[in-house]
Formats: sequence, structure tokens, C-alpha cells
Amino acid sequence: MNRTAAAAAALESEAPDLVCQLDNVQGMVDALTAVRWKRHQDAVIELSEHGIVLIVEETACLQAKVYLQRELFVRYEYSAQGRPRFGVSLGLFVDCLNTFSVPGHSSTIEIQYPGPDMQLLLKSVDSLDAGIYAEIRTRIPDTISWDYNFEPAGSAPLTFTVKSAALKEAIDDLEWPGSSIQVTLQPVPPTVTFRGDGHGDLQIDFMYYANADLLMAFHCDHQVSHRYKYKFLKATTSNIPGSVIKDNRGSKLTIGRGGMLKVQHLVSVARSSIPHPHIDSAGYQHPSRIAYIEFFVKPEEDEDTEND
Amino acid sequence: MKFKAFLTENGVNLLEKRFLPALDKMGKICHLYFTRDHAIFLHNLLNGDGIQSVAQFRKEALFDDYRISSQNEDRIAFAIDVSLLHRAVRSSVSICTEFGSGSTEKNRLQIKLVKKLPPNSTQPMPFLTFETKGYKSAVIQDVPISKPLSRAQLLELQTALDMAQDLPQTLVQVPDLNQLQSFVDRMKHVGDLLNVTISKYGDLHLQISTTMITLGAEFRKLLVIGDKVDSPAEDRNLSAQSRSTRAVLKGDAQSVQVSVRHFAKSLQYHLAKPDCAFYGIAPQGACLTVIFQFFIPGSRQMDKSISLHCRLPVLDPGSN
Repeated sequence: MNRTAAAAAALESEAPDLVCQLDNVQGMVDALTAVRWKRHQDAVIELSEHGIVLIVEETACLQAKVYLQRELFVRYEYSAQGRPRFGVSLGLFVDCLNTFSVPGHSSTIEIQYPGPDMQLLLKSVDSLDAGIYAEIRTRIPDTISWDYNFEPAGSAPLTFTVKSAALKEAIDDLEWPGSSIQVTLQPVPPTVTFRGDGHGDLQIDFMYYANADLLMAFHCDHQVSHRYKYKFLKATTSNIPGSVIKDNRGSKLTIGRGGMLKVQHLVSVARSSIPHPHIDSAGYQHPSRIAYIEFFVKPEEDEDTEND
Repeated sequence: MKFKAFLTENGVNLLEKRFLPALDKMGKICHLYFTRDHAIFLHNLLNGDGIQSVAQFRKEALFDDYRISSQNEDRIAFAIDVSLLHRAVRSSVSICTEFGSGSTEKNRLQIKLVKKLPPNSTQPMPFLTFETKGYKSAVIQDVPISKPLSRAQLLELQTALDMAQDLPQTLVQVPDLNQLQSFVDRMKHVGDLLNVTISKYGDLHLQISTTMITLGAEFRKLLVIGDKVDSPAEDRNLSAQSRSTRAVLKGDAQSVQVSVRHFAKSLQYHLAKPDCAFYGIAPQGACLTVIFQFFIPGSRQMDKSISLHCRLPVLDPGSN
């Protein structure tokens, strides 16, 4: 403890890389939970003047990023050179943040990096007589094992936007055939098809003209088809926060060069998502108070139909 | 050995709505101990390393027409399944309300100790029997119990009960039990061991510390009962952790380590709707004691006919 105090004093001379404050912990918990597809996951956090990015990946086949832009924070003081990166356990980080979001208690937290021992420091800032604090040990991050540079497949984008709830439902249903799922986009008639062959087969079609309320946007100039491992597709929607479904949001899916699939969700980090006595204009959401979540899923390699 | 009493309406309410649900969370089996003046529910007093819990009612708080006799100074104790007891009380209540309206005489719920021959058995077994007499009918429910404790076992229970009565020198009042509970419920995902520091300044500091994470909460300026000291002004701007360390070094605070699960369980007593709760550390850091107080309804005066406290085993003597 003394060591902490001494180190804290030593640190005063030098500003930490980042001190920021957030008034909606639950929104951050929701956003980070969306990329938590198994119990033990290592995450890399990257800090910059634009905000905080959290990256998780699995076996060089699946990567997810959560973008917490600086606009989400009520205070964001960044004073690092370059872009500091560090590793944390995602599960521990989310469980810890969750402790700060006790219902019936306004939850403004301050996040600081680094602490005296390179920890990630969190503390509640709204009450003098009751305070919560945490110090999370950080690691030197692993190098990202493969480059997820996402490039468009051609001159025109291959993309569609579907209601997040419908996407989740479709992927949940495909659990039954399991194994690998073929995703096909065809321009005439504009259709997205998810097809699973395994224990039996199941095909789910989203027709742009028939299901305009589900398939909200569609761009495709030539037929394209790739197979993805079911468990990776499942990871993209398995922990989608309830607020995304409740807000009736859409998820955007894009197929890039080599068949890489990008799945994007939007998660509200607006304060009004928690009822709060001090908010008088209820329902108003600042457009910038959205966390962006992106998944990148590599196609199965034996599929060599498209070689662009 | 005889025991017979009528549960009062207030007694039924206390047990059915408040105490039995809470006691059930503490552990499936408890000892029920009747003396000339008290009925006491005891968890883990004789055996085990779990939370020790003592819920004591003066007989008037639950019963009227209370009759007890035994060759052991009119004391009887046995083990009973709390959830079965709860079920029996609950269904007796529903029978009373169902058939009770219309009858001129008030339904009364009698409980007594009986020995009966259960079906398919040749040996009589002890039961706690609930008898609801309606206008024209009677409903009887038998709750199985253990054989009443022997003289030696009862002495052991009484000794353990006497030992469980020592008060911590400093007790701090927890402001909001529900909030503390939802906090601890979230905290327990992070680790298993909870450090609890209680100071004479009125600070309660909870901390889980593992190799990966330190997570803590500090509640300050709580009401203190017992030994208290003004908090040093120079501590005001320190972190919670340094404040606790300094207070322990100065002898103004004690610190113990308990299981997070036990701590969370102790908060389940909010189901008994206590009016306030106090935490304190027993002398020599022997245990973490939680004392719940009940007020006489509509007043701020302590209801001395009900007492409830529990003792959490300490996993590590901690720093004293």
C-alpha cells in the first residue's frame, strides 16, 4: 500500500496517458459484452486522441473491435505520444465495470491509464462518502496475428443492412445444421441467403423487396458466395446487447476482398438509456453517443470460388 | 417432553413473509430451539464452517398460550428443514384466509410436537404439527423433524449460543442494504476472498484483491456504535486503500478476510426486512459479525423481542 502511495506521488509530476470520465457505465458494459463470446478472452486496448479501441480475436479467423469515441466521454484528457496499447482480460474488465453500474445509483466513473504499476485504474466520482475503485493489471499486448485490413471486393461495395434482431434470429436458427454457413448475395432478385449444411440443411433468404422492413439496404452488382464457420458467425451476434434490439437498430454486413465478412453493430452509450432523475428531456439521444462494434470473419479456406 | 403453542397473527406474518424466506437462504437445515421464554432459529452453530446465524424471538413475538415442558429445564431443540417449515406455515395461512371468513371464532394456528407412526414404517417419528381449526374442519400438517437433541447435545448448543453473543467493540451502520447487495453480487464475479476493514471513524471498506485485479468499495462517515474516534483530517485526501492501512496501523481499524459468498449470503437477510444493519469485527478478528435491528412498527424504537445476527467465519486472521 505504501508503495502505491509513493508511486502515486512520483506520478504526480507526469500526467497519465489518459484520464477520461464516462457517465453511462452500462452503455460501455453493453458495448464490451457484445464482443465477449467466451469466458476467457484477452483483449488489447489502444488509446488515441480519438478515443479508445478494444480488440479481441480468435485463432486468426475472427476479430472484433469496439470503438469508444472520445465524444462518448464527458471528459477525455489524452496526453500520450503515439498510441499506447496494453492487454487486459476482457471478462475481468467487463465484470469490473459492471460493478460500477449499480442500479439506482448514478454511475460516473473515471478511467485512468497507466497507474503506478501500469494498471488500468477506475474509480467512481460522484459521491464523497461512498466510492468504488478498481485496479486492473495490464499486460504487454500480443502482436495481432494477422492483418485484418478490410478492403472492398471491387469497385462497388457488396453490402446489406439487416435488422439486428432478425440477423441474430437467423444465425441462432442456423445452429441446428451447424458446421459451416454459406452466405450468398445475388443482385437479381436482390437477395441475401444464409445456408447451412450439416445435420440436415436450412436456408434462410432475406428478399430485399419482400422484407424491406428487415433488409433495410442492399448493394450488390454480381453474385458472391462464401462459407463461414458457424461458431464465428454466431460470435458476431451471440451477445448483442438488449438495448440494440430494443432500439430496433440495424446491423451492416459487408463482404470484402477475399470474402472477408465485416459485421457492424451500433450500441447506444447515451445516458438516457438508464432512467435518471436529473434528465428532463427524456428520450433525447445525442447522435454521437454511439459505440461502434465491428467483427471481421475470415471465410473458410477451402472455398476458392472467388479469387479477386 | 411437551411443546404446544398458538401462533399469533403477527407471529405468522413475521415468519411467513419475512424470517423464513431469509432463513431459508442461510441454509436448508436449522436448529429450532425452544426455551421457557424464547424460540430461536440457529444455523451452523454445532457443525460446519459456514455462516453462524441466530434469530431469536421472545415467545410473545410469535405465540400465545405457549406451553413447554421437558426434563432438561424446559428446553427442547431439534433440526428442521426451513423450506418445509415455510411451506407448512404458508399453506396454513392460506387455509385460514380461505375458510376463515364467515366464522365467528377466529381461526387459530396451533403448533405442537408429536410422535407419530409414519406410513410404511414401524417406528414412530417426531414431527412438528400445524393444526388449523376451521369452523367445520381441521387441517393438519406434519413437518418431519430430527430426534430432539439429547441433554449433552443441547448443552453443546447452548454453549455455542452463549459464545456467539460477544459483541464487536465497533459497529458501523450500513446505509443501504439493497445497494450493498447489488454491489457485492456484481463484485463476486471478480474474486472469492473479500477483505473487510472497519474503522472507529465509521468507515467500511470492502476489497477483493487477486493477482489480476483489485476491486474495492469504501463507505465513509457511517454511524458508529461502540468505540469511535474522529477521523484524522490528514487522511481526507488519501486513497481508500492507504486510509485503511493507516487506520489499521494506528489501531483504529480492524481488517479480516471472509468469503465473498458468505458476505453476499449475509445480505440476504434484507428479506427479513430489518430496519438497520450493523457490521463489526469481533475481538481478535475472530469473525465478522452482522447485527440486524428491528423497530417497533411505526417508531424508531428498537423491538427487543426480536434479535437477529450472524457471524461470518474469518478465512485469515488478517492484520490486527
